Amino acid sequence: MARVEFRNVRKEFHDQQKGTFTAVEGSDFVINDKEFVVFVGPSGCGKTTSLRMIAGLEHQSSGDIIIGDRVVNNLHPKDRDIAMVFQDYALYPHMTIRENLSFGLRNLKKPKAYIEQKVQEAASILDLESMLERKPRELSGGQRQRVAVGRAIVRDPQVFLFDEPLSNLDAKLRIQMRVELAELHKRLGATIVYVTHDQVEAMTLGERIVVMNKGAIQQIASPTELYAKPRNMFVAGFIGSPAMNFMDAELDGNRVLVNGTVLELPESMLSSSLADYDKKKVILGIRPEDIYGEDFVQNVKVEGKMTTSVQVVEHLGSENLVYFQVGERSVTAKVHPETKAYVGLEKTFILDLGKVHFFDPETEMRISD
Amino acid sequence: MRTTVASRSSSSAFMRFCRDYGWAYLFILAPVLLFLVFTLYPVISALIMSFQHYNPMNTTWIGLNNYKTLFQDDVFWKSMRNTVIFTIGTVPVNIVITFVLSYFIFQMKNSWQTLFKATLYLPTVASGVTLSIVWIAIYDPTSTGLINRFLGLFGIDPVIWLGQSSTALFSLMLMNWLGSHGAGIILYLAAMGGIPKSLYEAADIDHASGWTKFARITWPLLKPTTLYLLVTGVITSFQVFISVYLMTHGGPNFATTTIAYLIYDTAFKFYDFGLASAQSFVLAIMIIIVSVIQFKFLSSDVEY
Ligand SMILES: Nc1ncnc2c1ncn2[C@@H]1O[C@H](COP(=O)(O)OP(=O)(O)O)[C@@H](O)[C@H]1O
Ligand SMILES: [Mg+2]
Repeated sequence: MARVEFRNVRKEFHDQQKGTFTAVEGSDFVINDKEFVVFVGPSGCGKTTSLRMIAGLEHQSSGDIIIGDRVVNNLHPKDRDIAMVFQDYALYPHMTIRENLSFGLRNLKKPKAYIEQKVQEAASILDLESMLERKPRELSGGQRQRVAVGRAIVRDPQVFLFDEPLSNLDAKLRIQMRVELAELHKRLGATIVYVTHDQVEAMTLGERIVVMNKGAIQQIASPTELYAKPRNMFVAGFIGSPAMNFMDAELDGNRVLVNGTVLELPESMLSSSLADYDKKKVILGIRPEDIYGEDFVQNVKVEGKMTTSVQVVEHLGSENLVYFQVGERSVTAKVHPETKAYVGLEKTFILDLGKVHFFDPETEMRISD
Repeated sequence: MRTTVASRSSSSAFMRFCRDYGWAYLFILAPVLLFLVFTLYPVISALIMSFQHYNPMNTTWIGLNNYKTLFQDDVFWKSMRNTVIFTIGTVPVNIVITFVLSYFIFQMKNSWQTLFKATLYLPTVASGVTLSIVWIAIYDPTSTGLINRFLGLFGIDPVIWLGQSSTALFSLMLMNWLGSHGAGIILYLAAMGGIPKSLYEAADIDHASGWTKFARITWPLLKPTTLYLLVTGVITSFQVFISVYLMTHGGPNFATTTIAYLIYDTAFKFYDFGLASAQSFVLAIMIIIVSVIQFKFLSSDVEY
């Protein structure tokens, strides 16, 4: 019932000193009922603004916003049947947890017994039962975060909006809450729009991910598709850690020339759109995990060899990050920890040519395959 | 050489202490001395004086007699009553006025805020003497007085504002309502600015009406500021003196005699320093009791 749709939505901020600033541009998407969609992108790319427009806390400059089957362009936040979890939680500091949870329902003039039941329900889902009479300041960060979620749950809204809810928590708690949020989604079966700048959070939580940059949507896709087929160099570089490597290359039939090294592409990589770039410059993208040391190659069907000297080695325990230079660009390989590598070593790296990506150097768009 | 090892080491320990902390204690000494000489000493000597019949030539110890006199004195009770009426009639009214002004100023654009803050702060920096003189003109009992001229427009006869017991105290209160909001406004504005905007947005989503947001969020979160203004307001108001001294001399017929003015009268008109000290102590104790009560009642659910 509760889908959320943006039709060509644009948001400008007017500032007397800085003039007009476009925070969100030509935003078009459909979030399906019961879907968990994550908005991800670097800080300042317009994620919060998009979320606040869904909530009605910010009014779009143009375009239509649809929730359920209503156009909500001019509806007040309270009439949109949404609930929002703010980045700073926005708990009412002078009210007890019980009062915080029941505030919305009391404003709706729901019967006392109903409110009581709802609060108990939410408290038991979120393990807050023993804290109902406390004030927010007597709670830990993780508990406050759960109260903020609880305040949303009690209202049974059509859509849940989360704005970086985990960013104030420490790393361990963040992972734990991530799991809890995923479970909560299954349990509530609600539509969730979730904003984060953390691509790991996005990849683990989102059924679909909306990648944004500089106010514009870059790609909307499932985590696997984003990883396998990033639509442009921004998405390719943003999703995955360490980021995808880019190298300047030139196509010549089924061969690629990278900094003097010739790589022969497998049949599977060749496509008609790639053929259009024959004898032209392209950008070759390859993820660090698709580069191996010669002495530790795993499951690579078509190998491309590249010999260069190791610049930096980082030991992470379960893997090593090896940095080397290709032309002007620094390249990272994520290799097995037993791969031999030390600074200055002349080493041959194996590129998994079945997993390379090509981009147009002008438009930075993916050359489809 | 009779110096023992022990005393030499202890004297060198003292030297080391002086070298390490000497300056610190020297700096602390200044305010401590000021406090001792100008606060603690006068308070203690006033306390002692309140048990004496003070006379520069022949001071005698009279025990609680000053306090007995005081509690049997009709003027004391009248001044007590006036002080309480003045306090009840000004402090809450002032807080409401300050709050309402702040509430509206807070919604304004920055430049307007500055203008209003500065304007409303002016009476606070102006001397009480200046203000009193201005208000004497405003309350001028002849038909040329500002208020009387205004009332004249409606055919109302001139009122002797400060010169009759029925209006004198009220006139002092009115003057107080219209003067002393600058500091409170600054405090309220700072406190309002300190309430996160997201609380109101959360409340918007939570179906809160404008009134609910005010009553359940703004007002409770401003309670520490209100409490502060209430306590300081009561303390100042209990000591109201300048306007009484300059405008009515406590009259007519003690209608505007406040405790502070009574103390002044007792001490410097009748030179009864013992009785004046006793009156001061009663005032001090009253202020302490009232402040404690206010904290007890109001601070229980205040969020700091
Ligand atoms: N109320 C505002 N006035 C002016 N500019 C704003 C306002 N809110 C956000 N912006 C600008 O819009 C851009 C996007 O902001 P936001 O949506 O908060 O980014 P994020 O993706 O980090 O959540 C930022 O550059 C920010 O400075
Ligand atoms: Mg944000």
